[in-house]
Amino acid sequence: MARIIVVTSGKGGVGKTTSSAAIGLGLALKGHKVVLIDFDIGLRNLDLIMGCERRVVYDFVNVINGESTLNQALIKDKRVSSLSILPASQTRDKDALTKENVGKVLEELGGLYDFIVCDSPAGIEAGAMMALYYADEAIVTTNPEVSSVRDSDRILGMLASRSRRAELGLEPIKEHLLLTRYSPKRVEEGEMLSVDDVKDILSIPLLGVIPESQAVLKASNAGEPVILDTESDAGKAYQDVVDRLLGETIEFRFLVAEKKGIFSRMFGG
Amino acid sequence: MADASIEFKGTSFTLSVLHLNTARLVDIRTYLVTKVAQAPDFFHLVPIVVNIEKIDYSIDYQAVKTLIEEFNFTFVAFTGDVDKEQRALIREQGFSFVNTTKKDTSKKVAIAQETLVTEAKAVATTTESHLYTDKVHHGQIRSGQQIYAKEQNLVIIGSVSAGAEVIADGNIHVYGSLRGRAIAGAKGHHKAQIYCQKLEAELVSINGNYWLSESMEQHWGSPAYIHLTDSELTSSILI
Ligand SMILES: Nc1ncnc2c1ncn2[C@@H]1O[C@H](COP(=O)(O)OP(=O)(O)O)[C@@H](O)[C@H]1O
Ligand SMILES: [Mg+2]
Repeated sequence: MARIIVVTSGKGGVGKTTSSAAIGLGLALKGHKVVLIDFDIGLRNLDLIMGCERRVVYDFVNVINGESTLNQALIKDKRVSSLSILPASQTRDKDALTKENVGKVLEELGGLYDFIVCDSPAGIEAGAMMALYYADEAIVTTNPEVSSVRDSDRILGMLASRSRRAELGLEPIKEHLLLTRYSPKRVEEGEMLSVDDVKDILSIPLLGVIPESQAVLKASNAGEPVILDTESDAGKAYQDVVDRLLGETIEFRFLVAEKKGIFSRMFGG
Repeated sequence: MADASIEFKGTSFTLSVLHLNTARLVDIRTYLVTKVAQAPDFFHLVPIVVNIEKIDYSIDYQAVKTLIEEFNFTFVAFTGDVDKEQRALIREQGFSFVNTTKKDTSKKVAIAQETLVTEAKAVATTTESHLYTDKVHHGQIRSGQQIYAKEQNLVIIGSVSAGAEVIADGNIHVYGSLRGRAIAGAKGHHKAQIYCQKLEAELVSINGNYWLSESMEQHWGSPAYIHLTDSELTSSILI
């Protein structure tokens, strides 16, 4: 059976979609069969970040409503054949998703893929609950600031009480902390929480720290998930995340501000 | 078939009783404001019975009910040791009246926090010793979550997040950081205490006496416990 991973946060704009795209593509590049599902009904972002927005014909809601088959709606990634995307609908029909019909789709996908990565909408309402309900694992995406940490804490409460695993009394959802948009310089200046602060508050295992990086915006605009930018800090950090998800132990990097070399210090570079 | 579709059965419940010592709505309101502010989530939608035996006929029942509902209690009925005429009058005006047994009224099933007295100092505090069992929770209590140990002590093996609330009728022990709200001795127990490995709470309350963060300065960030000396909260270091 596939591992169902929800990328969630509570707060919006923290990097869930960016992370879903990078991690999904990264897992597929390692040879796994991966499907990325956009649960953000009405917004439809994931297909843009993946660069397949022009190939969307049918979507998640069409499948749910029986207007298309799963096969018709799944978009095969042009770069990696083992990766598919199930896009969200642009219609505002958020209520289309129910536990029952989402469960059916996930079950069908579970037989075909190794990983199902669910990109959650923001908030703690129905849409976000639907995205996390069937999860086996959760990547709790958090920015190093108080309000984002607080929202992640709330989501962790939901994972522990409102998910299928919680309701059935099964083994709890495996929780991972993904700290995104991390700026060691701003941490040192006391403007942001540090990795240790966030770990202390949320007390869940750290999966990765993604530095704040220009490469992310460039990647989104190009429709090429940032993990493909193997020269960038953010790309490398996402690669580490993928490797850790696959069980490797990898040291954390990009945690301290880069010390300027003697030359740039002398010449003010 | 039709017979099985519903069934009436008698069951006893412990309900919170609000004892009115005054019919003056302003005084009742003032008192409710302070009480509810101490533990808003705790009182939310709590079913409440109003005891009016200390009040004469001049009470405006509808106004009392409206006032109570304004604070998000669920009004259930009036009660009290009153004569037949007053009982009839209450029912005539469309309100339920429930009889209490003598034993109950003398023991005051009322939660002490909700006992309404005009003089705040006179709030009934239960002085008998409490031998509570422990309710043990493994894991962190997250923002938005609430846990209540009814007639028990509460032991949390983990931290209490900011935005979370832990309530016990007995003591509260947090084997972790206390960053949210902790309300011990919730039913009126002045010997209740709150222990934690790191004191960073938004609010601590014992038997209705509360502190907000700024009052915890002395032991902020340290292992500490909170207790009542006379009716003053005190914090001490936990070694
Ligand atoms: N590591 C990062 N560095 C810089 N910008 C980032 C980073 N991660 C995300 N962003 C930017 O933050 C914004 C929100 O990201 P997105 O992935 O859409 O968040 P969400 O899905 O949580 O709403 C986007 O503009 C994105 O480019
Ligand atoms: Mg998104």
